[in-house]
Amino acid sequence: MSINSISGCIGCGTCVQSCPTDVIRLNEKTGKAVIAYPADCQICHLCRMYCPVDAITIAPEKSIPVVISWG
Amino acid sequence: METKKRTPYLLIGALFYLVIPFLYLFLADFPERTTLKDGISFLTIGAFFLMLGQFYLTRINKVTLKGNKFTKVIGKHKVIGYVFIPVLMLHPFLVVVPRYFEAGVTPYDAFMTMITTFQSSGIIIGLIAMALMVLLGITSMLRKRMKISYRAWRLSHGLLSIIFVILATWHAIDLGRHTDVIMSTYMIIMAATGIFFLLRLYFLQPQLKGGNNE
Amino acid sequence: MSNKEKQDKEKRGLSRRQFLGLAGGVVGAAALTTIGMKVQWNTNEREIDLENFSSSIAETDILVIGGGMAGLFAAVKGHDAGAKVLMVSKGRLGSSGQTPFAKGIFAYDAAKESMSLDEFTDTVTASAINTNNPVYTRQMAEHSLERVNDLKEWGFFDSPLYNKAFSKPIDERNIPVMERIMITHLIKENGKIAGAAGFSLDETKIHIFKAKSVVLCTGAGGFKPNGFPICDLTHDGTVMAYEIGAKVTGKEWNDGHSGSMDNPAACYDGWHGMFDMAPSTNTIDVHHDLGMEGNYSAYVLGNPVSSGPGSVSAEGGPYVPDGFDREMEESGAPSGAPSGEDDGERPSGPPPGEDGGPPSGDEGGAPGMAASASSGGASAGMAIHKSEGLVPINEKGESNIPGLYAAGDALGSYMAGGIYTQIGSSLAGSAVQGAIVSEAAAEYVKGISQPSISTSTISSIKESMLAPLNRDSGYGPAWVTQTLQGIMIPNFILYIKKENLMQAALAYIEELRDHHLPMLRAANLHELRLAHETANMIVSAEMKLRASLMRTESRCSHYRLDYPDVDYKNWQAWINIYKGTDGQMRLEKQLFDAWPAQ
Repeated sequence: MSINSISGCIGCGTCVQSCPTDVIRLNEKTGKAVIAYPADCQICHLCRMYCPVDAITIAPEKSIPVVISWG
Repeated sequence: METKKRTPYLLIGALFYLVIPFLYLFLADFPERTTLKDGISFLTIGAFFLMLGQFYLTRINKVTLKGNKFTKVIGKHKVIGYVFIPVLMLHPFLVVVPRYFEAGVTPYDAFMTMITTFQSSGIIIGLIAMALMVLLGITSMLRKRMKISYRAWRLSHGLLSIIFVILATWHAIDLGRHTDVIMSTYMIIMAATGIFFLLRLYFLQPQLKGGNNE
Repeated sequence: MSNKEKQDKEKRGLSRRQFLGLAGGVVGAAALTTIGMKVQWNTNEREIDLENFSSSIAETDILVIGGGMAGLFAAVKGHDAGAKVLMVSKGRLGSSGQTPFAKGIFAYDAAKESMSLDEFTDTVTASAINTNNPVYTRQMAEHSLERVNDLKEWGFFDSPLYNKAFSKPIDERNIPVMERIMITHLIKENGKIAGAAGFSLDETKIHIFKAKSVVLCTGAGGFKPNGFPICDLTHDGTVMAYEIGAKVTGKEWNDGHSGSMDNPAACYDGWHGMFDMAPSTNTIDVHHDLGMEGNYSAYVLGNPVSSGPGSVSAEGGPYVPDGFDREMEESGAPSGAPSGEDDGERPSGPPPGEDGGPPSGDEGGAPGMAASASSGGASAGMAIHKSEGLVPINEKGESNIPGLYAAGDALGSYMAGGIYTQIGSSLAGSAVQGAIVSEAAAEYVKGISQPSISTSTISSIKESMLAPLNRDSGYGPAWVTQTLQGIMIPNFILYIKKENLMQAALAYIEELRDHHLPMLRAANLHELRLAHETANMIVSAEMKLRASLMRTESRCSHYRLDYPDVDYKNWQAWINIYKGTDGQMRLEKQLFDAWPAQ
């Protein structure tokens, strides 16, 4: 997956705002950022660059999830 | 015979408070980062475990300290305190240091965002823990100038430590980069053990309250 | 029965997964259908409660839609001209669209340049084979330095991230900014613009904006291609303006960026560190960049496109005007390195779009060219910056709908024409146009009162906005997008054009338009956004095909295999697209030297 992991998140929400394609959301229970919609990641690294605690790790590979025919 | 044999308590302590956690850090599948970033993480984790190890270097440890001179042990306790407190005090700043060397938010902006994220319990708990740690450090350095008895100081030092350790562990588990389930569990076990023995000393064995190293 | 109860009830029944597991395939499905059970193949498993949608209404003089470079200047200069401004953006200020990735900005300093403004404009016109609108070309150069100086003051050149610098003038002026709201509808009442409506990505809330004037700074768009940071850009502004009767232009042109064959989806990696750089300025140097040469070569010789020393180039292909052919540069190396870069250390990767840095275009040069082979189509669906968008009726970005303006990539200003002529001009043009357009809007709002929006208008907009959430079954936006990409992105459709293949593609796109678009479903707010983006891409695809079919010549970045030459006799004209009174897409010619007929 494009965004590999988010660890050490403090829940400030900057990445949620900074993602142009709305990939990241804050988990309602934990308040931490989660990779909610990985298929839409364009691997632009803005989330990583804006993160105040450098919590996001990104890999250049992207495996696009299977989209079901007619789905 | 037996009582004269000194247990190698420092080695045993290092095993529990440094070797095991770091062994796990290297074996587990944490994302590899730059040397600087990993270095800062390991420094902070090391300091955290040294902090937990402070319980071990007190009179509550009646097992491995057997046969060792207690004043020496408490000397180590002090030295370790002087080591981990500055590191943990600096760690919020260390977190943003790598930003000097890469594109992204400036270290200053990152720091300001971080310490003003009050919707995060982890940050607030961390700030409180930090304040308690500073208080613990200062009251230790100024103990002799304080107009309270050693026993009163020791009691307050211990109780304050319990609150501090609970908050610090909570903060580390909540916000730590390397606190997965196993690491978190280990931290909780190590913290809980220390707290348990300290509380037992205070509340279940009042006869041991008397101090003799003042 | 409320939706929630309905959902719960559906959950108690067979879930889709269970169903597939049990029935496994068509036979099972048919069997179940015959016994009267609902086939839950495309069931919309809604994650939010539709009953909970709230709505809010905000009023302003000028509504700026979009938070990129054009939006920034539209907000600031509109405010400074005395209007009450509100900015709304699908993403974050300075961190969405193409602006965050634009690292070069053109600055024309009259005192230092040897070329006069007129000479510059004429050179651009020569490179663009007349496709540029010289009024906008000149305007960009004339005001670029002022805007660059504004940006300097705000700290724009100090960081690779723009949010802080963009926030400075906005905060100083207390201009309200509403982020993560996707505007889906423009509102027209009594023939004039009256506002816009959209929904929040974070809460179940509809936002209605009443405005005397709307400035679209919504950027351009594409078909969510891999390898170019435009996956949040789907021509939203263009399509919603088209829906209320605005004229749109520039759909036949193509941005010719290619992408890296290694990890083709990785925009950051494909630009080799450029995203990490703080922006800098570019000086005058007119090119004819990122046209169809590379894509033609790939079509004739096959992929991957090799470029640089010893590369074979295909016979024939697009016409490059004399004096702009950069194929044989002295170094023999890909002509990628953008010139005029201050530090001279810029990697050979081209600056993406807005940054204006079409670099190594000539030979299909691309991000990643130095490191690995490249492949075409990275920016599929996007035209040349500033060539596509709303048709301006004057030099102030006004559309044919009173009160509706556009600036930057949302305006079909033809600042550079149908080809890239000037590195860094795109970012400069967005800044310049944002300022000029919103000053005009501020003048316009002085004379008029706050329009009222009827409740029936609002309720019908709400219904259409939330329709994908309301559908109990339908087509997922991911599927429809993938299908559209499969139809549009092949090089023999989008880049190397032929009548019969475009007709074939158009038949597919019409099917998506008529059958899939009305059945797009969404389970949550993210998917609702995707559903609207997908719908916008379908309309855009139709525009691209129809305009490309109509333009029976080849020029700049539009290349027809069946009409390979420039046709100076019939095609000294742009193509405008508008919605006819019957709802059908209509196309018309507008001569290069004329403003549209009113």
